[in-house]
Amino acid sequence: MAENKVTLWYDFAKGLWDESPTFRQLLGMCPTLAVTNIAINGLAMGLATSFVLICSSVVVSMVRSLVPAGVRIPVYVVIIATFVTLADMFMAGNFPVISKALGPYVPLIVVNCIILGRAEAFASRNNVGRSFIDALGMGVGFSLALTVLGSVRELLGNGSVFGARILGSWFEPWVIMILPGGAFITLGLMIGGINMLRNRKKKPAPACEV
Amino acid sequence: MKESVRMIVVLTLVGLLSGGVLVYANNLTAPKIAQVREQNLKAAIYQVLPDVDSFKQSGENVYECFDKDGNLTGYALQAAGTGYQGTIKMIVGVDASRQKMTGILVLEQVETPGMGAKIAAPEFMDQFKGLTTSRNIEYVKNQKPETDYQIQAITGATVSSRSVVNIINNEVQGWLKTK
Amino acid sequence: MDLVLIFLSAAIVNNFVLSYFLGICPFLGVSNKIEKSVSMGAATTFVMVLAALATWLINNYILIPYNMGYLQYVSFIIVIASLVQFVEMFIRKASPALYRGLGIFLPLITTNCAILGLALFAALRQYNFIQTVVFAFAAGVGFTLALVIMAGIREELDRAPVPEAFKGAPITLIIAGLLALAFMGFAGLISG
Repeated sequence: MAENKVTLWYDFAKGLWDESPTFRQLLGMCPTLAVTNIAINGLAMGLATSFVLICSSVVVSMVRSLVPAGVRIPVYVVIIATFVTLADMFMAGNFPVISKALGPYVPLIVVNCIILGRAEAFASRNNVGRSFIDALGMGVGFSLALTVLGSVRELLGNGSVFGARILGSWFEPWVIMILPGGAFITLGLMIGGINMLRNRKKKPAPACEV
Repeated sequence: MKESVRMIVVLTLVGLLSGGVLVYANNLTAPKIAQVREQNLKAAIYQVLPDVDSFKQSGENVYECFDKDGNLTGYALQAAGTGYQGTIKMIVGVDASRQKMTGILVLEQVETPGMGAKIAAPEFMDQFKGLTTSRNIEYVKNQKPETDYQIQAITGATVSSRSVVNIINNEVQGWLKTK
Repeated sequence: MDLVLIFLSAAIVNNFVLSYFLGICPFLGVSNKIEKSVSMGAATTFVMVLAALATWLINNYILIPYNMGYLQYVSFIIVIASLVQFVEMFIRKASPALYRGLGIFLPLITTNCAILGLALFAALRQYNFIQTVVFAFAAGVGFTLALVIMAGIREELDRAPVPEAFKGAPITLIIAGLLALAFMGFAGLISG
């Protein structure tokens, strides 16, 4: 029982740091860079992706014994695309402003490598419970990373976080932070920083190769 | 052989299921999405024209607007064109006599944040209130506009400002000619 | 004139990789050798044009007439995935030499968000048939351009003293940021 708990906790927690999809595995880079100009967009994208990730992981895990190996990927892709369409409809109906800000990056969740990656590497081999926890962990890790990235960019590029003014009027916003260039540079610095932290903790360093 | 039959069956089933779920979800959410669109258009028109109660589409990009007694209060034109980096979409209000603009609202733009994006700021958009439609609008740089066909371009974002002016001129003058 | 605008816009000003962030995964993964980048770029451009054609036909002759816009994402991704499979089989049969050059990149292309992104953008902007083809080709050229520039820089980077923690993805991202800033200089090119 105790061992079981530990495993489940590990399934969840690895997505937050050790196997963080954004900072360690470098998956799902397109939305990570594209929508994190302000914190709220990053959070919304994180939640939408988590929803799709969790639902498709659970469904993939449920049907894993029924699907012949040859059509595995197409079946997974259809399942994922279905949930993405649902998420898109839900957002367009209930959060039109955010839905508009995220624009075509919502449908692009379909090709977010995190989702197909988890379906293939985890959900197709494990039971529903573990797949759910794994997807939840990865989703939270992804949302967290996007929100942090969005907050940093919004703070430096606009002087606010989640729309609330933090830096006073003395602060001249660094416009570059909310431009595409700023997205690449901020993410590069953050990944490099995290690598440095990890390297200090334990050598030899697992080089972050793509 | 048996394997390939199973593959086809599974794929077809998954496809049908997915289609079914989506048709169902679409029927649930489509009215809501349409309603949101309608509300957005309404909100935009209210911002560029005073005293609007209802409106109806009278041309491809034109809405006739009425007050609550059913009198024509003006027209709302949808205009779009190329800006500095991408498409700018906006809505332009013109009064019932078709002689003055009552306001503009930038709906969509991808200009540089902090520079060209200021075309969507009230300080810039308010300049168009009360401009004449009898001739093309012009922009002036670094000085206050002197006549009712001039606006002041945003410092450091002349191209974005000029794009807005051009898009409005095209749409408004083109529309006036058709009537 | 219109077509020239679409071409310049998609290839340079609003470069798919550097300003829409589409196709970042291969951009980070494959962009370490110029030769490899050219092959990857060519394969992607080829699939892009085909995918744009196929999704345009589906969108305009099936989805729009029968009012089935909600099936857009599902049908687009299926079309793209099967197209990539088909192209792979065809090239393997028709030209083994070409297959050895491009083949290994093809499976990667299905999950390249640039392809689906392209199809969605073309549908969203309601491009006609010719415009869609030009747009797809230009997007492919832009993708190749970004990939090749990056590969050129990374080949030189091998000799630079990059801090251990920044080797690989972090430094590539930072360089991409500088490239994106440089490409901003092209903005304004398309508006007279």
